[in-house]
Amino acid sequence: MSTMTYQAPMNPDDLVQKPTRPWRQKPRSFTTAVALAVAIPAVISAGLFFYSSIPGALVLTVIFFPLQLLASAIAAWSTRGVRGIADSVIIVNAIGSTVFALVVLLSLIGSLVVRGLRALSAHFVYQNSVFINPSTPLEYGGIGHALLGTILIVGIASLIAVPIGIATAVYITEVRGKAVPYVRFFVQAMSGVPSVVAGLFILTIAVSTGWFSQNAFAGGLAYAILMLPTVARTAEEVLKLIPDELRTGALALGSTRARTVMKVVLPAAKTGIITAILLGIARVIGETAPLLLAAGNNDGTVFNPFGQAIASIPVYIFNNVAVPYPDAVARAWGAALVLMILIAVLFTLARVLGRGRVGRAK
Amino acid sequence: MFVMAGVPFGCPQTSTSLRQHPDMAHSDLEQRDLNSAATSHRGDRVFSRIVTGAAFTSLIVLAGIAIFLGVQAVSAFQSQGLDFIFSTGWDINTDPPTAGIWGMLYGSVLLAVIGLAIAVPVALMLSIFMVFLAPQKLAAVLTNLIDLLAAIPSVIIGLWAFYILNPPAEGWQELLNQYLGWIPIFENTSQNFSGTPFIAGLVLAIMMIPIITSISREVLSRTPPDLVNAAEALGCSLWTMLRYVALPYGRGGIVGGVMLGLGRALGETIAVFFVLKLTFETNWYHIIESGGGSIATLIVSRFGEVSGPEELNLLLAAGFFLFLGTIGVNIVANLIVARTGRMQK
Repeated sequence: MSTMTYQAPMNPDDLVQKPTRPWRQKPRSFTTAVALAVAIPAVISAGLFFYSSIPGALVLTVIFFPLQLLASAIAAWSTRGVRGIADSVIIVNAIGSTVFALVVLLSLIGSLVVRGLRALSAHFVYQNSVFINPSTPLEYGGIGHALLGTILIVGIASLIAVPIGIATAVYITEVRGKAVPYVRFFVQAMSGVPSVVAGLFILTIAVSTGWFSQNAFAGGLAYAILMLPTVARTAEEVLKLIPDELRTGALALGSTRARTVMKVVLPAAKTGIITAILLGIARVIGETAPLLLAAGNNDGTVFNPFGQAIASIPVYIFNNVAVPYPDAVARAWGAALVLMILIAVLFTLARVLGRGRVGRAK
Repeated sequence: MFVMAGVPFGCPQTSTSLRQHPDMAHSDLEQRDLNSAATSHRGDRVFSRIVTGAAFTSLIVLAGIAIFLGVQAVSAFQSQGLDFIFSTGWDINTDPPTAGIWGMLYGSVLLAVIGLAIAVPVALMLSIFMVFLAPQKLAAVLTNLIDLLAAIPSVIIGLWAFYILNPPAEGWQELLNQYLGWIPIFENTSQNFSGTPFIAGLVLAIMMIPIITSISREVLSRTPPDLVNAAEALGCSLWTMLRYVALPYGRGGIVGGVMLGLGRALGETIAVFFVLKLTFETNWYHIIESGGGSIATLIVSRFGEVSGPEELNLLLAAGFFLFLGTIGVNIVANLIVARTGRMQK
């Protein structure tokens, strides 16, 4: 009876397959085959790499990779039959892709640390660049003005985007009005706005209205556009985790909806909302294009957010990359390292707080 | 197609039974309107209005971008005619300046296609490794590392690509040209291998890989373990399990993730700025020939030396088309991801 519900496979390979018996220990022949499949291509390629004149890139792509595929296929075929070959191809490709991604990441982080440390020093963090030109040695000048600018711009962006983002999340999870699907749709669409378009938008407003010019406020507005979707979506996820008993309990005690949200729900979600804010800041802090357009650049320190153009770390890096002076390039790497450390700190804080929230949920 | 296609027999039934989960049953209390009798407090009404108003900020911003940049696009069409889209060139010395962004629009798409061709297989294989092959601890570490890669700002990727990736990549392209030069896309007549669409596409791929990986990893890891175990019990190998269970199950989400990556690639500005030599002749398919186009990079590179309001207007109009393209791709991607998410629950 029960066999009737199971349609017999049409594929002859599926018909003749043997059970795999996963509970059995792997036989020694399997281990040997895998070891050989790993060792032989590696040894041959290493030999060619060191003792022949074939370029390394060619050895890797034309010799090592096909050889590895072939060796793995043979090993799989000898231990598991024809059906193992497809698996071996997937495994080799999967490991290869992982190694590729890791090499890229390692190269990025490694070069950032190695080259960035050359420029890094105490004065690099607090001095500005008023008397600095690209050929000035590294003993002078720094990113103090850019750091201050980034903090001002991110602060303004947070002042605008955080309340609106949290209110959007409250609308979706607490008020639950009729427009919830549309609001979510627009928030998601907004997260697809390219950063350069956000900068252009603020620039158009500035040009067409004449209310402000390139300054920290304009940069903050552009950042706020990019920050809002991240804050809103993360805060929404966080508010969803707050148990309904808290809300119903507060309402049952006679609290109004507004009070329930302000005095019960939001305080309960405090760490999660801080996480949302941190993730929002980390999302925007490295964006360059909007600041190039909306905030401009400055070699001196600017304190007034509504005054003249202001420097920021991403723009500082941008201006020092393609400069034919090694010290200027070293400054770019140093500033990049500082920026990356800032982002890493923000993400780590967000992770730690996020973990705390889950732990306290019950 | 074969019988194994029938393996996900459990999913439609599971989806309905989960929706009738007891936790979802008493949600009618929560859907009460704030303006209903129970909470007709004036403070509540004010609160509700403020929050609702704030919730529509995203719509206002999107509409604002569309209107402000759209106005600029209209005036660009008035001065340039349809040639603004369908011709190629950027001459600011004539009066009024003549400009056509076809090469840039096409270049953006070409870069994105090159990036996708590299990023999609890598990201898919990476997520398969993380979900089905790696031990759990290694997978957790890899997830964090991929998140780290996603968090690196584009200006740092650009810096790295300019100094670290570019020199070896030029060598790779020379090899490609040397051995595969008979294929039209690998032709290079100038022997100049810097600033090519290939390098820019490679950089875009590096920026897309974390996005596509994190979404397809999540989608694949949501494959019900019952189905995976059942497939293994039926004697499926890894490949058959992927082919008939996991990939069909996560197909929509993976496509959505790829499109989200595409949206990012189309809007990417700074990293491309450092590795692509911007040329106004359309580079149709010579991907290892120096010079290409990118609409986002055009805006940043021309903005620094913008000659006057006419040229600024042209750049803003170009930004309008960038906005239309990326928003369109992003909306479609989100719809696909959301639909798959619903189907999987």
